[in-house]
Amino acid sequence: MDVVYGDVTLGVHGKDFDYIFSYQTGGPESFVAGGLEWLYRTPKPTFWRATTCNDRGSHFPHKASMWMGADMFIETTGVEVLVDDAPLTGFLAPDNSRLIGSGYEHPASVEVRYTYATTTVPSATVTVGYRVVRTGDVLVLVRYEGVPGLPELPAFGMRFVMPSLATGYDYRGLEGETYPDRMAGARRGTFSVSGVPLTPYLVPQECGMHMDTDFVIVSRTGTGDRTARLTFRRHDRRFAFSLLPYTALELENATHQEELPPARRTVLCVMGAVRGVGGIDSWGSDVEPAYRIPSDQDIVYSFVISPSQR
Amino acid sequence: MKPSLSWLTDPEVFRVNQLPARSDHVHYADEQDLKSESEKLYQSLDGTWAFLWARNPKEREKDFFLMEYPDDRFRTIQVPGHVELQGYGRIQYINTMYPWEGHAALRPPQVDMSDDPVSSYVKWFDLEAPLIGKRVHIRFEGVEQAMYLYLNGTFIGYAEDSFTPSEFDLTDCIRPTGNKLAVEVYKRSKAAYFEDQDFFRFSGIFRSVRLYALPQAHVEDLWARPVLARGGQGRFSLELQFSYEPGFLGSVEVSLQDAEGLPVLNDRAEIDDSVSRLEFASRDIGAVHPWSDKTPYLYLLTVRIRDAAGRVVEIVPYRIGFRDIRIQNGVIKFNGKRLIIAGVNRHEWNAENGRAITVDDMRWDIETLRRNHINFVRTCHYPDQIAWYGLCDEAGICLMAETNLESHGSWQKMGTVEPSWNVPGSDPRWLRIVLDRARTNFETFKNHPSILFWSLGNESYAGECIKAMYDFFKDRDDSRLVHYEGVFHRPEYRPSISDVESQMYAPPSRVGQYMESDGTKPFILCEYMHCMGNSLGGMQSYDRLFDRYRSYHGGFIWDFIDQALFVTDDVTGERVLRYGGDFDDRPSDYEFSGDGLVFANRVEKPCMQEVRYYYGRRIR
Repeated sequence: MDVVYGDVTLGVHGKDFDYIFSYQTGGPESFVAGGLEWLYRTPKPTFWRATTCNDRGSHFPHKASMWMGADMFIETTGVEVLVDDAPLTGFLAPDNSRLIGSGYEHPASVEVRYTYATTTVPSATVTVGYRVVRTGDVLVLVRYEGVPGLPELPAFGMRFVMPSLATGYDYRGLEGETYPDRMAGARRGTFSVSGVPLTPYLVPQECGMHMDTDFVIVSRTGTGDRTARLTFRRHDRRFAFSLLPYTALELENATHQEELPPARRTVLCVMGAVRGVGGIDSWGSDVEPAYRIPSDQDIVYSFVISPSQR
Repeated sequence: MKPSLSWLTDPEVFRVNQLPARSDHVHYADEQDLKSESEKLYQSLDGTWAFLWARNPKEREKDFFLMEYPDDRFRTIQVPGHVELQGYGRIQYINTMYPWEGHAALRPPQVDMSDDPVSSYVKWFDLEAPLIGKRVHIRFEGVEQAMYLYLNGTFIGYAEDSFTPSEFDLTDCIRPTGNKLAVEVYKRSKAAYFEDQDFFRFSGIFRSVRLYALPQAHVEDLWARPVLARGGQGRFSLELQFSYEPGFLGSVEVSLQDAEGLPVLNDRAEIDDSVSRLEFASRDIGAVHPWSDKTPYLYLLTVRIRDAAGRVVEIVPYRIGFRDIRIQNGVIKFNGKRLIIAGVNRHEWNAENGRAITVDDMRWDIETLRRNHINFVRTCHYPDQIAWYGLCDEAGICLMAETNLESHGSWQKMGTVEPSWNVPGSDPRWLRIVLDRARTNFETFKNHPSILFWSLGNESYAGECIKAMYDFFKDRDDSRLVHYEGVFHRPEYRPSISDVESQMYAPPSRVGQYMESDGTKPFILCEYMHCMGNSLGGMQSYDRLFDRYRSYHGGFIWDFIDQALFVTDDVTGERVLRYGGDFDDRPSDYEFSGDGLVFANRVEKPCMQEVRYYYGRRIR
């Protein structure tokens, strides 16, 4: 594994992968695996979900709208680099020159850890670390630090936007679309989904969540029509994900399915916390307390991104 | 009689020359007709009709029904169908607000005569051979919302109540060939105050129209009363009403067969044209197979009328079932066991044709209900097409059969209770109208085993009129329970209206509170789990109530299918689903009609697996 200590980015290259972590964009800027670029833009934490009918009825977005801004705009406040799990100083220019030709270029692991400040008032801190090992596996460690005085979170996770539409995905977890308060009826198993379907609710809204997932493998067409895959798998606890052609805000803005733009990218959200959908009524009742996301408590989760093409 | 436009707003006039409501049986001419189910005494008038449309009564062609009115002035329209989905008038979706909100300030029974679209329908027809020379009736299964009927230039009758059959006797005016049937349909009448359901507001002849001939002797009404007594013993009685051509002399035979075709009962009586009513008294028939949602066992009742020479004059088959529903110690018992309602509210809907749905749509719905362990349907909030009830009998779908009544716009304003001019209330002007709606619902569907509850309608507040409806059902039918939720807002009527405590959208904790603090009546959620958009979370909390409270009987999810309409998108040219407000209909309640467990195009929503799981646990 080779690490490139650039002036603006940090590159990590192995047999089957090429990654670039940017100091400028505040996160990874390139994940190449299976001969394919997997990042359209730098992934960031996500805090918003497209308002559901029940959310709207209970005025949840009125209370939580600060998180919409946080989802759209987030400030990167710090970058750290750890080599073989020890903090590395002097990785930025001009100090990085001394790293050229040093042993730091071939470590067993390198982690780039970003710190973000949300645009909410008060602001909350999120750290996301990407720890790369020689196989190319990236352990993503995400931590939201709870702050008193903020509204409940509509969602919390990491959003990966991929440059093209996936041809499909395979996952092991629960069948169908599930939420914390609507997952008892789902069968557990391994499921193969063709394309990137969007649940066609009359008004586009949050949809497509998969709770309790062990892994999801995203397939996209690579060079020469070869299928390239990127795997997101559990590290310790199972995670939730949604894989859709749109971001929450794209969905938020449409009042009908046909207003959504042509599907051209893949938006994978790997979630640390999912709010229930509720169901008592659509004109005031909130989601049951157990299925809300308190903002004053920490949310810590992790998952592994693997470039293995199997 | 001279028809008058004033009837539209006259509380005294809502049925003119309409035949009395009767059971929904079909009659056959002979054994061959029965065997082939050709129904040769019936003649469908569905199809293409001549048509004119006007924005209001003033602009209508008043003489369209006359024989001499020129044919070339008409355009065409399909029957059954809503006129709004065929290019006439505005498509509108609105929930609680009356459809004229913001356009006209009206109080019952007023109608805005400047905005009361008139659809003038004409059908030319010749009688088919088996109908010629006989008495001929016509049945409109559903016309929204008030209709004047003419045949060959003569006024025949007037009807309201959009969702129940309206029947008229055409015998005096009909001829073998060259008949001109004319129907003038008004979109608004006083009936609008009682038909404020949360749905798209349509008009027109939206259900089938059929002529039928009456043999010399005819079963006008039948009321079979199968009783499931203790120990699975059956009792059976039957009440028949007849009409005749003068001078008829003959007999009537009654037989009851089980599902294997084995005889259970046979009886016979002499009749003549003086016998308008005949009762076969209750008798024990031994052990019977009960009808239930799990085993919808049906017996075949056959009534045969023969003339004096023994020739068959008419045959009426009807499938009946033995089941028992009652309240014992505060618990509803269905065939002796606690009733579990794994239910859903169902509007009739098709994204192409609105409420003009087909039997194929119904069959899909039934299969979907069965597959997902939904055992109960509330026919929100009007009687459905006749075919639906028979399909439910066969499939074991229990029904709460609602009367066509919803008036929430008269007392629910911006989410608060404001009943200053509520209808029907205790206003004697409305008593006959709402009682008529209850009677028609009862008389039409009384023989269906699937109906376990009559329901007085939905969200119509409470008062003496609704109480009279309750009394009517209780007086006429001791084999079912009577449901009404609207007493929730008028506790003084709680003891005297509704056999059950019914609430809507109560959070699980409020159900618990009722159980702990009152709990004298069995509890039902007539609407719960509002499945709008991505919803149906938290069902577990309701499911747990079954274990906690024996007199909690479950509820009806709101609702079965999204109400949205397919249109061609101007921009992409694709077929897309549209909802309230998309037709420049204002004010509107927009996407509030999209609350189904299935999408408007009959694809299950992802949440269905949750329903299947929780309901399946309880009813399997």
